[in-house]
Amino acid sequence: MSASNDNAGHGHTASGHDAHGHGELQMGHHHVSSSAMFLNVLIALLILTAITVGASRIDFGSANLLIAMAIASVKASLVIAFFMHVKWDTAINKIVFLSSFLFLSLLFIFTLADQATRRMDDQALTTKTPVDKQWVHPSTLAEQKQ
Amino acid sequence: MTTNVPAVDTHVAEPTSGRKNFLNCSSGFMSWAGTLDHKRIGLMYLVGVSIAFLCGGLFALLVRLHLWSPEGALFANADYNQIFTLHGAFMVFLFVIPAIPGSLGNMVLPLMLGAKDVALPRLNLLSFYLWCSGAVMATLAIILGGFDTGWTFYAPYSIYTDKAVVSIGLGIFLLGFSSIFTGLNFIVTVHKLRAPGLTWFRMPLFVWALYATSILQVLATPVLGITVLLVAFERLYNIGIFDPRLGGDPVLFEHFFWFYSHPAVYIMVLPAFGIVSELVSVHSRKPLFGYKLIAFSSLAIAIISFLVWGHHMFTSGQSTYAMFAFSFLTFFVAIPTAIKEFSWVATIWKGSIALNSPMLYTLAFLIIFAIGGLTGVILGALNVDIHLHDTYFVVAHFHYVMMGSIALAFFAGLHHWWPKMFGVMYNETLAKIACGIIFIGFNTTFLPQFIMGSRGMPRRYATYVPEYAPYHHASTIGAVILGLGIALMVYYLVASLFSGKRAMQNQWGGVTLDWHTPTPPPLENFDHSPSVTTEVYDYSVLDLETTRTPAS
Amino acid sequence: MSHDGHHSVVIPAPGPEFQSHTVAHHFDTPVQEFQSAKLGFWLFLATEILLFGGLFAAYFYYHQMYHETFHLGGQQLDWWLGALNTSVLLLSSWTMAMGVRSAQTSQKGKLLMYCGLTVLGAVIFLVIKFFEYKAKNEHGLIEFAHLFDGYNGATGQLSWFTDHDGVMAGVPHGHLFFAIYLTMTAIHGLHVIIGAGLIVWIMKGAAKGRFHAGYYLPVDLVGLYWHLVDLIWIFLFPLLYLVS
Ligand code: HEM
Ligand SMILES: [Cu+2]
Repeated sequence: MSASNDNAGHGHTASGHDAHGHGELQMGHHHVSSSAMFLNVLIALLILTAITVGASRIDFGSANLLIAMAIASVKASLVIAFFMHVKWDTAINKIVFLSSFLFLSLLFIFTLADQATRRMDDQALTTKTPVDKQWVHPSTLAEQKQ
Repeated sequence: MTTNVPAVDTHVAEPTSGRKNFLNCSSGFMSWAGTLDHKRIGLMYLVGVSIAFLCGGLFALLVRLHLWSPEGALFANADYNQIFTLHGAFMVFLFVIPAIPGSLGNMVLPLMLGAKDVALPRLNLLSFYLWCSGAVMATLAIILGGFDTGWTFYAPYSIYTDKAVVSIGLGIFLLGFSSIFTGLNFIVTVHKLRAPGLTWFRMPLFVWALYATSILQVLATPVLGITVLLVAFERLYNIGIFDPRLGGDPVLFEHFFWFYSHPAVYIMVLPAFGIVSELVSVHSRKPLFGYKLIAFSSLAIAIISFLVWGHHMFTSGQSTYAMFAFSFLTFFVAIPTAIKEFSWVATIWKGSIALNSPMLYTLAFLIIFAIGGLTGVILGALNVDIHLHDTYFVVAHFHYVMMGSIALAFFAGLHHWWPKMFGVMYNETLAKIACGIIFIGFNTTFLPQFIMGSRGMPRRYATYVPEYAPYHHASTIGAVILGLGIALMVYYLVASLFSGKRAMQNQWGGVTLDWHTPTPPPLENFDHSPSVTTEVYDYSVLDLETTRTPAS
Repeated sequence: MSHDGHHSVVIPAPGPEFQSHTVAHHFDTPVQEFQSAKLGFWLFLATEILLFGGLFAAYFYYHQMYHETFHLGGQQLDWWLGALNTSVLLLSSWTMAMGVRSAQTSQKGKLLMYCGLTVLGAVIFLVIKFFEYKAKNEHGLIEFAHLFDGYNGATGQLSWFTDHDGVMAGVPHGHLFFAIYLTMTAIHGLHVIIGAGLIVWIMKGAAKGRFHAGYYLPVDLVGLYWHLVDLIWIFLFPLLYLVS
C-alpha cells in the first residue's frame, strides 16, 4: 500500500491483506502486557530452570536428554509467546518464526537419520550378507587369485 | 488482440526531453553510491553481476581451451584445479544466485507492486555492499594464492589445502547475507507494499517467483553461512567436526552444504521461471495458462527442495536408507517443474506470438530447460547416479539448467526490461543473431558432455584419455562460439546506451504495473499512486497508444 | 498524507521531553512502517535460528556418534555456573521486556533503567563466562594461548587440547565436545556483546526522548533480538551442562 488513496481526505486507509490502518497516527492499538504477567512468566522460567537441573541429577537413561529438551522447549515457548509478544503478533510473523523451527527440524531429521541408519547398514553388510556374497574390490580379487 | 508491437520502432533518439526520471534526477558519485532507490541499486547490481559473469566466463574459456588436448593444453594440473574452482565459485556465488533478484528483481518488483520502493531501502543498499565485499574477498583470495577446492568446498580437502580457503569462505558468508537480505526485503515488500486492489492472485508471476525464491534465501542460506564459518574455524583452530583425523565426519559437511545448495539451485532457477512466465504471456499477448498452478508450483518447489539434498551424496558413504529416501523424494520435484513447463507451452499455443528478441531467448530457455530438467530426473535415480556421479553428465546437466536456462532467462529479462530501464532500444537484428549464436554455441558446448559423461569421463580432471578428445574438441569449439555470441550481446546492449533508438513507453505491450509508469520510471515510480481493478494479464485493457508513444 | 510523496507523515511527540517521528517517505502510514520493519526483523531472527541450528545439528550428530564423550565432557562443565548464567539471562530478558513496556507507555526514566539493568545482566553473564573459560584453560581442555597452533598429524597432538589431568582419557575424541562447546558459546557470546551494544544504542536514543507510545519500533526490535539470545541459551544450557 505504498500507493495511498487518491482521495486525500480519506486518510490512512491501507489496503491489501496484511496491514490494517486504523486511521490514527499512534500505534496505540498494540498490545501492552501487564507487569504482573511478565513477572509471572519470569518466575515460571526460573522454576523450570530449577526443574531441569533437578531432573538431570536423576538417571532416566537416554530419556534424560529428551526430558531436558522438553523442558527447554516449554521455557522457549514462554519466552516466545510472552516476552517476544508472539501471542499477540500478526499471523504472518508467527508463521515466519515458527517455520524457521520447522525447516530446521528437516536438517536435524535427515542428517541424524542418516547417521543412525549407517550403523544398521554396517550390521546388514557384515552380518546378513554371507562372506562370499560381499562385494570385494576387483584389485583385491586379483590379489587373492594370485 | 490482433495487432502486435512492432519489433523495431522507427523513431530516432532525441535528447531526453525535460521530464526527470530515476537516471537523470540527480548525478554525482554519491547520488549513486549512497542511493536508496531500488532502481539505481538494481542497476548497480546489474553492473556488478555482469562483471562477475564476464570474469567467470573468461575462466570458463580457459578451462575449455586447456581441455583441447588430452594432456591439458595450458596449465599445470594444480593450476587447472584453481581455474575451474574460480569459474564455479564466481558463476554460482557472484552471478547466478544474485543476478536475477539483485538486478531485475530489484528493478521490477516494486514497479510490479505499484510501490514507491522496496520496504527496507537501507537494507537493500547494505545487501548490495555485502555483495561487493564478497566480491572483494573473492578477489583477495585469488591474490592470496587462489583456491582449488571446487565451488563445493568439500571437507576434508578444503581443510587440508594450503590455499586461501578462509578468505573465500568469509566472502561466501558475506555473499550469503547479501542474498538473505534481498530475499527478506522482497518478502516484506510483497506482504506490505502492494497497491490497493493488488490481491495475491493479481500479482504478476515474476513477483510470485521472487517471493518463493526469497523464502528459500531466508531459510536455507544461513546454513551455508554457518558451514563456511565452521570450515574457517576448522582451518583456524582445528575444531575437528569435519576432519576425519580428529573424529569428525566429512559427510556432515556434505549434509550442511547441500541442505543449502540444493534449495540454492531453486534460488537460482525460480526467478528465471518467473521471467519466463512473464515473457511468454506478454510476447504471446495472452493470459497465462494455469496462472494459479504456476504460482503454487513455485511454492511447492520451494518446499520440496528442502527434502532432496541427499541426491548429491549418493556416493558419499551416506546410509542406504537415507539414499533411498532422498532418491524417492527427488522425483517429486519434477511434478511442479513439469507443470510450469507445460503451462508455458500452453500459453504460447495459439497466442499472438511476436518473435521479439526477449521471446527468442525465452523459447531457447523452454527447449534447453526441458533437457536440463529431465536429465536431473535421470540423475535422481539412485542406481543410475552411482554411475553418472562426478562425470561430465552432471556437468552437462547443471550447465543446461544454470547456463542454458537461468542465464538465458536472465538475458531474456534483460532484453525485455532494457527499454523500460533506459528508455532506449538495442539493435533487434543483432539481438536475434546473438540469440541464435548463443543457442548454437551452448548446445555445441554441452551436448557432447552428456555423451562423454555417460561414457565415463570424470569431471574436474585436468587430463583425459584420448578417446574423449572428439567430445572435448566439440565442446571447446562450442564454448568459443558461445563466447562470441555473448560478446556480441554485450556490444549491442552497451552501444544502445549511446546511440540506441528511443524505445516506446510500453515497448512490448505489457499490462502489469511496471508498464503503467512513464519510461524510464520517475524517482518515486508512479506519478499517481496506482490502484488495481483488473485481473492480471488482462490484455483487453492494453492501451495500444502507449506502445507507439516514444519514451520520455 | 503523502500521496504525492512530498509531505511525510509525522507522529507527534507525546510530551516536551520526547521527539516526534517522521515516517519514511515510501510508507503511507505508521502502521505500515511498523509492520514492515517488524516482519523484516522476524525474518532476520528466523535466519539466526537456522544459523545456530547448524551448530545444534552438529551437536546432536556427534552426541549420537560419541555418547560417552559428550557425557564425560558435560561433567567437566560447572553446571552451577551454567544455571547461574541461565538465571542471569532470564532476568535480563525480563528487564528487557519491561523496558519495551516502558517505551510503549512513554515512561522514559523506566525505559532507561530497565535497559541499563539488561546491559548489566549481559556484563555479568560475560564475566561468569570468562571465569568458566579460564577454568577450562587451566585444565588443558581449551588452551586459549595455543588455540591457533594447529594439529600435528604425526603425533596426533591437538595444540589447544592437552587434557593434562586426563579427565577425558577414556573416551574417543574428547576434544570434540569442547570444540563444540567453545564454538557454540563463543558465537552465542558474540551475540550477547552485539545485543548489549544495541541496547546501549537504544539508551542513547531513549535519553534524547526518541521513543514513546507513538514510536518505539527500535526498542521493540532490539528487545526481540535480546530475547533470541536468551532463547538460544535456554537450549545450550541443558545440552552442554546437563548431559552427563
Ligand atoms: C532446475 C534447476 C536445476 C539446477 C539449477 C540444478 C543444478 C544442479 C547442480 C549445480 C548440480 C551439480 C552440483 C555439483 O556436484 O557440483 C546438480 C546435480 C544434480 N541435479 Fe540438478 N539442477 C536443477 C534441476 C534438477 C532437477 C529437476 C533434478 C531432479 C528432479 C535434479 C537432480 C540433480 C541430481 C540428482 C544431481 C546430482 C548428480 C550427481 O552429482 O551425481 N536437478 N544440479
Ligand atoms: Cu540437487
